[in-house]
Amino acid sequence: MIKAVIIDDERLARNELKKLLLEFPEIEVIAEAANANEGIEKIDSLNPDLVFLDIQMPGKTGFDMLAELDKAPDVIFTTAYDDYALKAFEVNALDYLLKPVEPRRLADALHKLHLEENREKEGGEVEIQANRSLLHEHDQVFVKDGERCWFVKLSDIRLFESVGNYAKIYFGSNKPLILKSLNALEERLDEKVFFRANRKHIVNLRLIEKIEPYFNGGLLLEMKGGEKIEVSRRQTVKFKEMMSL
Amino acid sequence: MRKSSKYYWWLQIGGWGLLALILILINLLFGQRVDEQFLVGVLVKVLVGILVTHLFRIYIHYSGWLQLPVEKALLRLVIGVLIVCLLDTVIRIRVIQWLDPNAGGSKYLFSTRFLLMTVENGLYIIPWTLIFFFFHYIEANRKQQLDTLKLEALVKELELKTIKSHINPHFIFNALNSIRALIDENPLRARTAITELSNILRSSMQTEKQETVFFEKELDIVKDYLALEHIRFEDRLKVQYDIAEDTLTQPVPPMMLQTLVENAIKHGISKQVNGGTVIIVSRMKNNYHQVLIRNTGKLDQSANEDGFGLISTRNRLQLLFGDHANFRIREVNGNMVEAELHIPLT
Repeated sequence: MIKAVIIDDERLARNELKKLLLEFPEIEVIAEAANANEGIEKIDSLNPDLVFLDIQMPGKTGFDMLAELDKAPDVIFTTAYDDYALKAFEVNALDYLLKPVEPRRLADALHKLHLEENREKEGGEVEIQANRSLLHEHDQVFVKDGERCWFVKLSDIRLFESVGNYAKIYFGSNKPLILKSLNALEERLDEKVFFRANRKHIVNLRLIEKIEPYFNGGLLLEMKGGEKIEVSRRQTVKFKEMMSL
Repeated sequence: MRKSSKYYWWLQIGGWGLLALILILINLLFGQRVDEQFLVGVLVKVLVGILVTHLFRIYIHYSGWLQLPVEKALLRLVIGVLIVCLLDTVIRIRVIQWLDPNAGGSKYLFSTRFLLMTVENGLYIIPWTLIFFFFHYIEANRKQQLDTLKLEALVKELELKTIKSHINPHFIFNALNSIRALIDENPLRARTAITELSNILRSSMQTEKQETVFFEKELDIVKDYLALEHIRFEDRLKVQYDIAEDTLTQPVPPMMLQTLVENAIKHGISKQVNGGTVIIVSRMKNNYHQVLIRNTGKLDQSANEDGFGLISTRNRLQLLFGDHANFRIREVNGNMVEAELHIPLT
């Protein structure tokens, strides 16, 4: 059973989608929300597997809402004709449905979702989440930087860098900023994978290319993307402990 | 000063400088004396030449000869050149006399000398005038071509945008989506909604043909439009009409009210979490037909005066009614935006 939430400011649009979803018994609509703030509430409290999200809503857009979440659920965007949103989709190949929704397109989008879910389950062990608020490497975050937006798997992020109140995240060839402090991130990230190398950096241990000794008994890490990160002396002890296990 | 005047000074000084050089060279080649007196004569020739041609240029610009057709400009030019040549002669004789009061007594009679000098001036002034006009005609021609291209591009852009701006596709698809949901929930309402949508689509297709329509017709479209938006927004949209009977037969540009109401929804109501009100007022005021569209919301300063909807509204009014019509948009009471149209009575 897939738990889904529908977020759209129009009641009739939500009803229409619910009606279409009756054809898919594996999808259970557990809640609805009429704007971004309600949506955040529902997602935080109910932790759905899937969100149907309208882009144009009063107050905040769907993109803005996602960027505020710590952890992004799977999302299928729904929108009527809209130049701006369509451009964002084209750039980032996010899955979207145009209203009025064609039942066959909905089936395709859900099918794609199942495939991805199965692949994930086959690939990795299904962990029992003791602490739900902890972010795991299979989790994804939604990142919005100006006009561009991405869904990023935490396992693809090799480096978090502190820039004032923001954090710069490095994945692929992109390094957008997110409005989260490095300390807040450290609390939420899985410490088995994400290691605080120094005051300014958190590195992904699985994406380290090379480790070299450095001054004062510290270490210098070279990441897969070529970034060189110094490990402070204090953290070096911890790092060696972890790696020797 | 304009860019062309920079070229002018380079050409002016360069041209006369070249002339001076040629005169000196010729004298050297033919073994004549190049003494102080000769050089002063050349200098006077050049400086007076620059002075009179510059005055000539000012006069040409002042009296607008450049804009005249060639046949009309030609006669004026011949007379102009003649006067300039004479002027040159008079000034030069005066200057030479002032520099050297004894020099007057040469082998020629004064009248012969005067005539010779004037003819000599013609040798410089006529080419000067030809170059001047040639240059200006080329420049004007090029500018005209550029302007024509720019104008063509602008017209095309405007045409495209006005056609598009009549009905917003976002609205059409949202309306269709609402209607599909209504088919099960309230079939009767769904049927009227389809009629309303057809009315709007039909009238938006017809607008290109007419310059103005009765206000009543325009209001009917807006009523249909707002009824459809009400299906979508439900309680979040409240609508109030305050329409004076005698304004119903006033002429207004088609789809103008519709565009403004659409803006009120798009920039006003749809951005408010709790929705808001749209108020449409139409009345006679001081011999004008006044139309007000008020909506809950704030004026978006960044998009304000440059928005296409606002610019095209202004342009259309200007084209149809000249300065007698008026349009403005402003914030009132801190939480309402008011668009106001003033259209002259007929």
